Amino acid sequence: MKGHQIQSKIISMEIEVLNAVQQRTLAQFTEGPSVKESRLFFLLLPFFDGKNWSVEIESSAKTVSIVYAALHAHDQIKEDIPIIKEQQLTVLAGDLYSGIYYQMLVNSKNIAMVQQLASAIIQVSEKKTSFFEEAIRPLEAIEEAITTIETELLLSFYRFYGFSEYTSLAEQALLYLRYADELKNLQSKNYTHFLHELNSNLVHEIYTEHWLLEKMDSLHGRILASIAELSLDYELAQFLLQQITPHQHRAEQLTREG
Amino acid sequence: MEKMKLKLLYSDLRPELEMIEKELEQAVDSQSLLLNDASLHLLQAGGKRIRPVFVLLAGKFGDYNIDVMKRVAVPLELIHMASLVHDDVIDDSEIRRGRPTVKAQWNNSVAMYTGDFILARALEQITEIESPRVHEILSKTLIEVCRGEIIQIKDKYKLDQNLRDYFRRIKRKTALLISSSCELGALVSGTDEKTAAHLRRFGYFIGMSFQIIDDILDFTSTDEELGKPAGSDFIQGNITLPILCARKDPEIYAMLKANLNRKLSNEERLMVVRTIRNSSAIDEAKVVSERYLEKALRELSFLPKGQAVKTMRKIAFFIGKRNF
Repeated sequence: MKGHQIQSKIISMEIEVLNAVQQRTLAQFTEGPSVKESRLFFLLLPFFDGKNWSVEIESSAKTVSIVYAALHAHDQIKEDIPIIKEQQLTVLAGDLYSGIYYQMLVNSKNIAMVQQLASAIIQVSEKKTSFFEEAIRPLEAIEEAITTIETELLLSFYRFYGFSEYTSLAEQALLYLRYADELKNLQSKNYTHFLHELNSNLVHEIYTEHWLLEKMDSLHGRILASIAELSLDYELAQFLLQQITPHQHRAEQLTREG
Repeated sequence: MEKMKLKLLYSDLRPELEMIEKELEQAVDSQSLLLNDASLHLLQAGGKRIRPVFVLLAGKFGDYNIDVMKRVAVPLELIHMASLVHDDVIDDSEIRRGRPTVKAQWNNSVAMYTGDFILARALEQITEIESPRVHEILSKTLIEVCRGEIIQIKDKYKLDQNLRDYFRRIKRKTALLISSSCELGALVSGTDEKTAAHLRRFGYFIGMSFQIIDDILDFTSTDEELGKPAGSDFIQGNITLPILCARKDPEIYAMLKANLNRKLSNEERLMVVRTIRNSSAIDEAKVVSERYLEKALRELSFLPKGQAVKTMRKIAFFIGKRNF
């Protein structure tokens, strides 16, 4: 499959997801659903890689994307701000998307997938809440929490449809992307809960930056190994490496930042 | 006290409700200590458990098996709880049922994740029921409830909205989930379609009456009785039936308009509450609530006589007269 065909399929899926959750008032007052290209890529990866793909699987993939959008909406809720319409409707956007994913799966008579996704949401919610616990935990526990948050919904989809061979690659790539985002946040002094916890664990944010860069380097190496192990088609592998997880070596980053 | 009285009305369901209570506690059990605490905090604040009660009562018209009924009753209460914890973020509420809200006790993020967690637990449980119809009804209800809340926010501070907007809003906000509780209870116990339809309509009418009374009590109760400041609906810009009835008086209309969407002092808030309370609006709203109550009772008259109908009738009368 050519790069432009992959891109086109991702865009068409994105449009379908956006159409499924469209609501006039929400469109007017909220930032709209977050449908990340990288997640769509990994949801569609078995299809791109030539695996058996059906209308039911594609419909389920869309619902996973909707659940990501629902949970993302709730991540946007801010603390200690006056009551504003945008915040109120963002809460409801997340709730509405949850109703929509449930209804879509009910309409395709896929109740088992509702159960699968509900279990994944429980795990994700538990891990998200863990960033508000007072107890200090080791870096491995923080890493495990962020891995679950980024990947559990996708992995539950893979498990359900027997696509578990892509688990390692997806886990590495989605974690890589999260760390890349967190690095940007750190560099622009936009401290997320994750960064706060890393900073307090590593004492100084310069060490946090190094930790993130090392993780990204290591993950990139593992991504290359996973691609080789899966024997992904050349075009597909190139699309993944260039469009989804473009990598800048740690040394280059450190040089660029002086 | 009043909540106690209500619970006495369904005392014949006590063993089953105690079982439901335990199931609710188990359902919110989590590996995360914080989620556990937040969910239990919400659960232990109590509540009328009106949705599980209606599920169980509706089940009495069919082949009643508590092990099946609880698989609907527990998720419906969880769905209600999840919506409450998110509503408190939406309304920035500090107090619910006289206790700090989850968002006040912890923060908005914890409240959001607690709601997501509880809703997911509800779906995880209810998917043990295989009937597609159950899931069609419930998923549609969840969406409609959200749409109702979205409309409510869109319509906030609009004093010139019409009555139809209000009724459509409370239907989605409250009546649908109670109506679905009755219908789902009927469905899983295998009642015939006619009985299920009467129960669904009973739930709808009683839900409408219940919400109107709730909206009246926001003006007629004290802060202590409500467990939150009286007049909260008005302060938050929710235009309820007493306000819609009161606005017909040009003087009251002008007063409402002047005080809507601005920060009120305690005295100003109490003045608004007093004005509505002393107007004819309260009686007018009560008449509307009673009409819904009559419709609910009419639906009961089509159902086979028995203890379930008696209890439903008592609950209906109580809701019509409650003062908490």
